[in-house]
Amino acid sequence: MKNIIETKKLCKTFSNGGIQQHVLKNVDLEIYEGDFTVIMGASGAGKSTLLYSLSGMDKPTLGSVIFDGTEITKMDTDELALFRRSNCGFVFQQIYLVDSMSVLDNIMAAGLLVYRDRKVLAKKAGDLLKSVNIDESLWGKFPTQISGGEAQRVGIARALINEPKLVFADEPTGALNSQTGKAVLDTLTKFNEKGQSIVMVTHDITSARRGNRILYVKDGEIAGECILGKYVTGDKERQQKLNDFLTSMGW
Amino acid sequence: MNKILLLSKSNLRKNRGTSVGLFLLMLIATALVGISLLLFFDCYPTARKTSERLKAGDGFITIRGDLDGFTDEKIEEVLGPDTDDYYVYRALTYSTLSLPFGDGNVALSLNLSDSHAFSRKMNFFEVVKEDPSITENYVYLPYQFNTSGGFDIGDTYEYENSGNKYSYKVKGFTDVAYGGCNNTGRYEFVVDDASYQKIWDNERDEGETIFIIYDLKDGVKSGAFRIRVSNEFIKINPNAIADGLDIDAVIENRTFIGLILAVSMLVLTSLIVIVVALMLANCIANYIKENMKTLGALKAIGYTGKDIKMSLISWFMVIAVVASIIGIAISYLAMPIFAQIMIGQMGLSYSVSFNALATIIPIAFVILFTLIVTVICSGKTAKIQPIMALREGLESHNFKKNYVALDKTSFNPTMSLALKTFFTNMKQNVITFFVVGLMVFACIIALLMFENFSRNPKIEILTTELCAGVIASDLDSKDDVYEYLDSRKDVTNIREIIYMDFYYNDEEKLFTYIVNDPTKMNNTSICYKGRLPVNDNEVVVSGAFAKAYGFEIGDEIKLDYGDNSFKYLVTGFVQTTNNGGREALLTYKAASHVVDTDSIPTWFWFDITDESKDTNANKVAVDGILEEAKEKYDSHIINTMNFYEIIGGSMTTFKSISALMLVVMISVSVIVIALILFLLIKSLIYHKRKDYGIYKALGYTSGSLMLQTALSFMPSVVLSVIVFTVVSYFVANPYMSMFMRMFGIMKCNFDIPAAGAAIVGIGLAIASFVVALVQTRRIKKIEAYNLLVAE
Repeated sequence: MKNIIETKKLCKTFSNGGIQQHVLKNVDLEIYEGDFTVIMGASGAGKSTLLYSLSGMDKPTLGSVIFDGTEITKMDTDELALFRRSNCGFVFQQIYLVDSMSVLDNIMAAGLLVYRDRKVLAKKAGDLLKSVNIDESLWGKFPTQISGGEAQRVGIARALINEPKLVFADEPTGALNSQTGKAVLDTLTKFNEKGQSIVMVTHDITSARRGNRILYVKDGEIAGECILGKYVTGDKERQQKLNDFLTSMGW
Repeated sequence: MNKILLLSKSNLRKNRGTSVGLFLLMLIATALVGISLLLFFDCYPTARKTSERLKAGDGFITIRGDLDGFTDEKIEEVLGPDTDDYYVYRALTYSTLSLPFGDGNVALSLNLSDSHAFSRKMNFFEVVKEDPSITENYVYLPYQFNTSGGFDIGDTYEYENSGNKYSYKVKGFTDVAYGGCNNTGRYEFVVDDASYQKIWDNERDEGETIFIIYDLKDGVKSGAFRIRVSNEFIKINPNAIADGLDIDAVIENRTFIGLILAVSMLVLTSLIVIVVALMLANCIANYIKENMKTLGALKAIGYTGKDIKMSLISWFMVIAVVASIIGIAISYLAMPIFAQIMIGQMGLSYSVSFNALATIIPIAFVILFTLIVTVICSGKTAKIQPIMALREGLESHNFKKNYVALDKTSFNPTMSLALKTFFTNMKQNVITFFVVGLMVFACIIALLMFENFSRNPKIEILTTELCAGVIASDLDSKDDVYEYLDSRKDVTNIREIIYMDFYYNDEEKLFTYIVNDPTKMNNTSICYKGRLPVNDNEVVVSGAFAKAYGFEIGDEIKLDYGDNSFKYLVTGFVQTTNNGGREALLTYKAASHVVDTDSIPTWFWFDITDESKDTNANKVAVDGILEEAKEKYDSHIINTMNFYEIIGGSMTTFKSISALMLVVMISVSVIVIALILFLLIKSLIYHKRKDYGIYKALGYTSGSLMLQTALSFMPSVVLSVIVFTVVSYFVANPYMSMFMRMFGIMKCNFDIPAAGAAIVGIGLAIASFVVALVQTRRIKKIEAYNLLVAE
């Protein structure tokens, strides 16, 4: 299987008032194309730091991140921004839509970074919104006028508009109730089934079940890995395997 | 009280940028108010203080012509009843000489004295600076020749009178009460005793003049006194000419440019004060919005609305107090630059000294002004409910319309997002619109002054008539000189003008132009209301005089000359900056009712047929005409004037003042716009910091976000520049008229160079964009990761 991301000796240290905190310690990792990779771990284990280091959103202290053959750790801030446009999509826990823009414009604002033809982009954005079950009547509304679940699905559409090589999702259901969270996970699963590579950080076991590869982060290191295979609804054997893995990790 | 100070201190620390921005705006406002008031209270009254120091009295009267009969006893008899004190001396006077000054010549009367001028009991001269080593053939010039006339000690000063050339070495410069400034219509020189004696011996018959400096008794009206005394002197010897001027009129003429500077500074200051008020109100509103949660928490733990309000007041008061004190210090430091212009124009020695009023008023004004705005704008804090504030439920999101829909617009992403920001920040746009607009207006006013006083001097506001040259001849050669001018192909439009003093009601002297044919005058704009006189019963009077005595067009006015009087119909009002705003104009025929115009020397004003754009070429052409006349008619020529020379000299002091105003206004405008944009952009970035984090996460670069933010200000900047440039174009003249009225210019018709106004507007727009772009650099510091994980 082709890897999209490869990290070598990835370290991240935070310094606060002279006290150093080693959040990531020599992480060697590969993320594969087409996978729904889930990063799990306790609070403060370093899973979000790992996610943002992989995506080029944050700079590691040491080590390298090679994204589709390009070492992104050597890039400056603007080069990383240009890199992210077509390679990365982001889904955040707090959703982070731009409040002053309509639902459609939130998607367009991301799409315009890559696409020049507005008509083509508008159609693509519309199709994406339909595919994440956002009714056309909501396209002109502002993020504060729609529900959290709807907003997160808009966030997913925004993450996918530029057909990124990888979607990074940081606790995408963390701010949602179970029902709307399920809809969001269904959406992500659907796109993964279509071939979209996803890396998701979560500490929610229900969310983690959607992944086919689970990485467990403990004290800044990859403590373990569990390969589950593709998600199938109601697959109890798969569910048990995950439970066993997490138990072995001290979950 | 401690808790309030604690909050204020915290506010100051947390809002350093806002505090610094407001501090600088208040500092500029205080410094400008300080300079304006120092000009008013300290520099401007210098002329009066100097007059008192030089014992100039309440005015002077000169007696020229046939001086037989003017004994000390007779003079005492005439003056005694109305004066506390007076002093009589004799010196030489030349009426209207062309004297080298600045970039050209000035046409003025000249009084010449010997070294006695330094030891007179009244109206004595004071040396400002001199070189004692120069001991012969020297001249002391009025200080104005040094401050703006371009002369220094040791230079050679030359002038010409009736074909005689005079050349002196400049020994020094003097403070003079009556003849120290070109605006007062006369200069007073002191030459060495030997040279003076020689001139006295040769020219006594033509130039000897009795000068009477007087101090009036309380209650005696100066104008009425001079008229009575002049009439009585003419009775002593009908061939004598008595003339005079009040010290008030002299001071007024001497200081009017300085006053223009002071008023202009105040106008600019008033605009800045409005801007400071807008920004202060905006900062308080932003503070409340940005700190809603903190304010809610403070209220929840027991702080009252009054406590919060007091903390805001003490925060801004600290800024106001410090800014105003430093601002005043700056005004004292900058004052020598502005004072130099005043000194140049007034021709007086002056050094900046402490002035209590000019110091206290700006400080008190800024503090009081800040207090009022803060009290009014911080009232909202009292209404904050802790729960609502903690939930940040006030004014969170209230978007009504999705402006510039990205699927429909044809703008590129940066422009589209800039326009979105523009439409969602109307408060920012309104402030930008008015601040930039006010600054555009201020700059266009400065440009107008520069254009009309410096680049293309609008000489018609300073003189009654415009021409190329003037020849004054005695009565014997009057007809010959006219024929000479008439025969020349390069001379056209010859006007005959006589100057006389007419009197109104034994109270006012009107400097009167008697013109053979007013329809031939070039400067028709002098008559700003009604029309110039045509018939023999018509007169136009100056607007200032008409206003003082309540005359309207169509009224009758009785004018006196000696024992003769005639009632004229007022057909219009003229504007003038000279003679204390007391002037009149009528035709030869009209004047003949009270004076024999044939018995008075005539001044021929003429134009040249092929006027070139090159002033020097015109100057040479007119010089040729005048020189030939002097050769032909020799001593019959009383005086000549080359207007192209005089324009340069007369405008010297205006040029420096208008250039300074332009530099000051443009600099202050750019600084103020920069400060306002700093505060607005700082606040905008703070409010949109989450959006910038999102944009960065999506792949927008810092550069594109900076450009997008800077561009979001441009619609209001561009709109403001266009609107205010157009408005200024139409409003500038009426606006200038409002305060030029006090200088006798009742209707301004200044040129506003369209290209210059466009350059100023475009320049300010570009400067605003550059400043905005520079100030958006803080977007670079926003990191998507930090922002996203921090929430």
